Amino acid sequence: MTNSGDNNDHFNMKPRRKAEFHTPPNRIKSKVGTGGLADDILNKAEALLENNTVDFRPLGELYLESITRGVDVVRDLPGSETSDEYHISNILFPAMQLKANGGMFHYNLVTSIADRMIQFLEVIEVLDHDALEIVKAFQTTIRAILLGQIRGDGGARGQELLDALNAACYRYLEKYPENRSKPV
Amino acid sequence: MTYKFDKLRVLVVEDNTPMLEICKALLLTFGVGEVISAKNGEVGYDLFCKENPDLVIADWMMSPMDGISLTRRIRNDMRSPNQFVPIILMTGFSEKKRVVQARDSGVTEFLVKPFTARDLYKRVTQIIERPRQFVKSEDFFGPDRRRKADMSYNGPYKRETDAAQAAAQKVRMKTASAQLSQLRQQAGLSKGDRITEDKLKSKTEPMNSSDIDFN
Repeated sequence: MTNSGDNNDHFNMKPRRKAEFHTPPNRIKSKVGTGGLADDILNKAEALLENNTVDFRPLGELYLESITRGVDVVRDLPGSETSDEYHISNILFPAMQLKANGGMFHYNLVTSIADRMIQFLEVIEVLDHDALEIVKAFQTTIRAILLGQIRGDGGARGQELLDALNAACYRYLEKYPENRSKPV
Repeated sequence: MTYKFDKLRVLVVEDNTPMLEICKALLLTFGVGEVISAKNGEVGYDLFCKENPDLVIADWMMSPMDGISLTRRIRNDMRSPNQFVPIILMTGFSEKKRVVQARDSGVTEFLVKPFTARDLYKRVTQIIERPRQFVKSEDFFGPDRRRKADMSYNGPYKRETDAAQAAAQKVRMKTASAQLSQLRQQAGLSKGDRITEDKLKSKTEPMNSSDIDFN
């Protein structure tokens, strides 16, 4: 009888990492009791979010400025492209902040557009000249939304903007299929 | 009966002031007794050590110390007063690789921004009603990362990523079993019989009954 010799059969495989399990005391449960929160409390909390009057635009501008700086750094690199995660994250992280915070302060369209931008940045291996142009298009669109104070999802016009940016991403990935990273 | 959050102490670590204020206001609306806040992971960790809160809610992207590093310190630092404290990580990232990164740092729950009050409440109730056991291995300490574990299965290759190895092993076992049956057949043996090593080498030769080791 022969084995593959790779020491992988369960009767002769190497012991895997040993793990210890701990069940800590549920300190929070012992303090809060049971039953959940009443709906009126949750509705009050939702209303608090809906009625917040924070002006997101100055914060949004700061994130857009960070993206500009990130793009400029990549443009100054040899060949104006990079696959370095550090350089890409200089653009990706402020985009993530736009996505995260836009919707918290009524700029849902900013969140949707920044989300597409993140998806695009997460899927490409190399940030090259054409990809930078797409990033700039995302950035310009978000700036226009903030300047125009377009709150909410932007309606039909908002959807058109989103579709146009989406189409640009698809065209790019069709043109450079080799630049699409492998899924995790 | 409803939850009484008035005895709870929550630490919120967030560098974006408007967002920090919103989180505090939401928690206070839920009835949380005390909300402590910090503007980055470094200050947050010092406060955590000093105040030992019941729950930590932290943003991911912060400087000088982000939410992931804060989580690692809470889970692994000797100074940490409670390595088991539930941690909710807030972030705009929702891509799988980012969620995995957060999970592997020891985060208890992941809250994607923008979120609603009910989203935050759901994460808190998850922590209260479905606490996760902690795992300590060579390279990880934190809440059990398996969400869909089949507790009845106790064999090897338990992880989802082991599927290819498990399939390969099945094929190897099947082949080995077929080879063994063939050997038995050639030797005129049945399943319970033991054979000596030298006879294994000359498996093609017919065997006598004296070749069988009954001990």
